[in-house]
Amino acid sequence: MTIMGERKKSLRGRMILSFLLIVAIAVVSFMIISINRSSRVIKETSVDYTLQLIQMMNENIEFYIENMENISQIAIYNSDVRKYLVADDDADEYLAKVEEQFATLKETRKDIYNIGVVGMNTNYLINDRTVLINPFIQLNDLEWYNKAIEGKDTVFSSHVQNIVYKEYEWVVTLSKPIGDPVDGEIIGVLFVDLNYRAISNLAEEINLGQKGYVYIVDGDGNIVYHPKQQLIYSGLWEEELMPADRTKNPVASWENNNKLYTSTRSELTGWTVVGVSDLDEMLSSTDDIISMYYLLAVVLIGVAMLLAVLLTDKITLPLRRLQESMLKVETGNFKVDMMEIQSRDEIGDLIRTFHIMIQEIENLIARNNIEQEEKRKSELNALQAQINPHFLYNTLDSIIWMAEDSNTRDVVLMTSALAKLLRKSISNENELVTVSEELEYTKSYLLIQKMRYKGKLKYSVNIDAAIADMEIIKLIVQPLVENAIYHGIKYKEGIGTIVIEAEYREKEIVIQVIDDGYGMSDDQLVHIFDERVIDERRNGVGVRNVHKRIQLYYGSQYGLSFISKIGQGTIATIHLPVQTGGNDGV
Amino acid sequence: MEYRKKDSMKKIILFIIVITLLAGGIPFLYLCSYQSEQAEKKVSIIFISKRLDENNDFWSSMVEGIDMAASEYDIDIELMGPALETEYDLQKKMILEAIAKKPDAIALVPIDYSITVPYAKQIEEAGIKLVLMDSVMEEEVGLSVVSTDNYEGGRKMGEYLKEYAGHSSVIGIVAHSPSSSTAIDRERGVRAGLGGYADHIVDKVYCYSDSVKAYEATLNMLEKNPEINMIVGLNEDSSVGAARAVKDAGLAEQIRMIGFDSSMEQVQFLEEGVFNAIVVQKPLNMGYLGIKTAYQTVIGETVDKEIDSGSKLITKETIYDKENEKLLFPFNQMHE
Repeated sequence: MTIMGERKKSLRGRMILSFLLIVAIAVVSFMIISINRSSRVIKETSVDYTLQLIQMMNENIEFYIENMENISQIAIYNSDVRKYLVADDDADEYLAKVEEQFATLKETRKDIYNIGVVGMNTNYLINDRTVLINPFIQLNDLEWYNKAIEGKDTVFSSHVQNIVYKEYEWVVTLSKPIGDPVDGEIIGVLFVDLNYRAISNLAEEINLGQKGYVYIVDGDGNIVYHPKQQLIYSGLWEEELMPADRTKNPVASWENNNKLYTSTRSELTGWTVVGVSDLDEMLSSTDDIISMYYLLAVVLIGVAMLLAVLLTDKITLPLRRLQESMLKVETGNFKVDMMEIQSRDEIGDLIRTFHIMIQEIENLIARNNIEQEEKRKSELNALQAQINPHFLYNTLDSIIWMAEDSNTRDVVLMTSALAKLLRKSISNENELVTVSEELEYTKSYLLIQKMRYKGKLKYSVNIDAAIADMEIIKLIVQPLVENAIYHGIKYKEGIGTIVIEAEYREKEIVIQVIDDGYGMSDDQLVHIFDERVIDERRNGVGVRNVHKRIQLYYGSQYGLSFISKIGQGTIATIHLPVQTGGNDGV
Repeated sequence: MEYRKKDSMKKIILFIIVITLLAGGIPFLYLCSYQSEQAEKKVSIIFISKRLDENNDFWSSMVEGIDMAASEYDIDIELMGPALETEYDLQKKMILEAIAKKPDAIALVPIDYSITVPYAKQIEEAGIKLVLMDSVMEEEVGLSVVSTDNYEGGRKMGEYLKEYAGHSSVIGIVAHSPSSSTAIDRERGVRAGLGGYADHIVDKVYCYSDSVKAYEATLNMLEKNPEINMIVGLNEDSSVGAARAVKDAGLAEQIRMIGFDSSMEQVQFLEEGVFNAIVVQKPLNMGYLGIKTAYQTVIGETVDKEIDSGSKLITKETIYDKENEKLLFPFNQMHE
C-alpha cells in the first residue's frame, strides 16, 4: 500500500515537476530575453535620441561656423580692406569704409563679437576705431594669428580673446590670411570671433537626463566645451574624452564607466560632439520592468503550479480509481463499481480492458460453478442410484420366500410397502424431502425387514414435531437402518430393536439410528467410510454413500458419526443443517 | 481514502498559493521599499555662504561647482547667503532658518572667525551634518573644512620668489590683517617657500582688506625701504593696492611682484607685467568638493578633516593656457 502510494505520488509528482520545469524554463528565458531586449531597446533608443540631438547641434555649430566663414569671405574680398592693409598715408580713407562694412556685418549676427583685420604694416581695425589692440600682448603669441600668417584657415576653439584691450571674452575664433591680390603675399590676418556662449548654450540646452551632458572636443582632442572642464583640469573628474578608435568615425557609440557615449563628428569643423548618458539613470526604468516581469513570472509559475496539480490530479484520477478497483479484485471481490469511462485516452482503454477482463473472470468463475454443480449433481445421482438394486434384490428375495410359503397377506403387505418405497426412491423429481417423509419411507423399509426377519426385529420412530417439515436430502436414514440390521441385529441372538430419533439440537437436525445389535469393533469403526474395505456379506456401500452425499450437499462439517461397542449396539448419528425452504443448497 | 486524497490536494494547492505569495510578495515588497528608500535617499543640503553674489567671480564660481556636485550626486540643494560679507546678523538668521528646515547637511562659509561659532554649534546640536567651506573659525566645529590650503598657497608664492632671489633680494609683504587666519597661514607659507631667503623680508604692512589702504601702505613701505625689489600681496585687496602703488611709482620693472587671488584688475596687472605671478584659488573646486564632502558625511563615508580645494600659480606666460583660462576668466565675466 505504501509502496503503491509512493509510486503513485511520484508519477503525479513527475508530471507536475516536468510541467513546472517546462513552464519555468519558458518563463525565465522569456523574462531574460525581454529584459535584455528592453534594456537594449532603451539603449538603442537613447543612442538614436542622443544622436539626433547632437547631430542637430553639430549642424547648428556648422551653421555658425559657415556664417563666420561667409562673413570672413565678404571681408576678405572687400577691396577696401586690402587697400587699408597696404595703405600708408591714405589709410584713414579706407578705414572709414572698412569700419562701415564691419558695422554692417556685425549687424547681421548678434553672436559675432569681433571682426578684425590686422595688417603686417601695423594697420588694424577691430570692429571700429575706438577698439585698441591689447598693448601687453605680442601678436606672435596668438596661435590663431600665427596659423593665419602661415597661410592657413583656422577655426580656433574656445579661448579667451585677449587681442582687445581690457576685454577678455570667451570666443571661438576663425582666422584667415589676407593675400595681396597681385602677388599673393600675405598682407594681414582677418579674424571673426563668435560668442562662445552661442556654442556652450547649444550644449547646455541638450537634456540627456539629470546626469547626462554633452561635450565637444576639437580635432586635436582639446576641449571646446565640457560642463566639468575645470574639474577635469583639476583632476577631480576623470573621463576618456576622445577614444581614438571612436571619434575618428563620423558617428559612434560606446560604453565606458557605466556611461553611454554617442558621438558625431563634423567634417567642416573637425569637432566631435559627444552626448553622455548615465546608464543607471537611463536603465532605472528597466528596474520597474524587471520587477514587473518578476511578478509576472511568479504569478505565471504559480498558476502553472496550480494547473499542474489540478490537471495531473484529473489525469491520474481514473488511474487511481482503477488502482483501487484492482486492489479490491486482488482481495477476491469482483463486485467492483463499473466506473463511467470518460477518458478516451490510453487510461480509458486500460479501464475498458480491465473491465472486460473482470467480466471474463466472473464468467469463468460462474461457468466453473455451474460445472461444479453439475458434476456434484451427477455424482449425487450416481451415489443415490447405488442404493436401489441392493435393497430391491433382498426384498424381492423375501417376497419370493413368502410367496413360496403362500403367505399371501404378508406378500401383499410387503409388496405394497416395497411399492411405496420404490415410488419414493425411484422418482427423482425431488432431491429433497421433509424429515417426516424420509422417516415414513424408512418405516416402509423397516416394515419390510420386520416381515423378513419375523419377530426378530422391533423398531420405533420418534420425530420432533419442530423438524418434521424441514427438508433434508432423501434416502439418508434408510441405509443406516439397513446397516444396523445387517451388521447389528442380524448377528444378535434374539430380538433386535432399532430406535430412530429425529430431533432438533443446537440448530441442527440430528437423526439417530440406535440399534442394540452385535456392535462394531474399533477397527470396523475406523474403516466404516473406507471404500476399499469390502464386506463379503453386506458391504458398507450404503453408509459410505450417505456420508459422501451429505458432505457433498451440505459441506464437510456435516455427515455421519458412529458410536459402537461389541455386544452392546451401535448409534449412528446424522448431523444436518437446518435449511430454510427453497434453498438449493449452495 | 478518496476523502483523504482531496484533503491532501487542498493542502498542496494551499502550499502553492503560499509559496507563490512568498516568492512574489517578499521580493516585490523589498523592491518597493527599496525604491521608496531610494526616493527618500535624495540628500538635502543647504549651502550658506557668507556672500551670494552673482557678479563676484569667486562666489559665482563656487556656486557653479556646488551645482555640479548637486547634479552629480542627485542632491536637493538650497543656496543661502547675504549679498555682502559684512551682514553678520543676516547670516545668523539664515543659519537658524536652515536648521529649522532640517536638511541632512549644511555647508557653511562662516562669516566671522568667532561670532559664527555658537550658530555653527547649533547646527551640530540639531543633528545636522556640518561641513565648513572656505574659512575656519576659532573653535573646531564641523566634520570637515574644505578650503584653499592657505599655507600651501603662500608656499607657492614663496617658492616662486625664491627662484629669482639672490643675496640682494629685499622683500616686503602687504598683508590684509594681523589676526586673520588666512593672512597668518599664507605668510607662514611664504616664509617656508622662501626658505633661506625668509630673513630677506624687511617689512610687512597691513591694509585691513582695503585696496586704498594697501596702496598707501605700499607706497609708505617703499619710501621707508627703497631697496625693496620683491613684494608679496597676501589677498586680493593687498595685491591690487600694492600693484597700483608699484605701477604708479614706476617701479614695475624693478620690483618682482606676486599677488594672491584673481580679480580682473589683477589679471590685467599680470598681463601688463606689474605682477610677475599670482596665486589663484579654485572656488569652483571648493564648491564642488564642499558639497561632495557634505554628501559623503550624510551617506556615512569617512571624510578628511581638512580638504584642500587647491590653488595655482600663474605667470604672464601661462595666463592663456587651457587649464588656466577658466580659472582666470569665468564665463559670466564676459558681459562686464
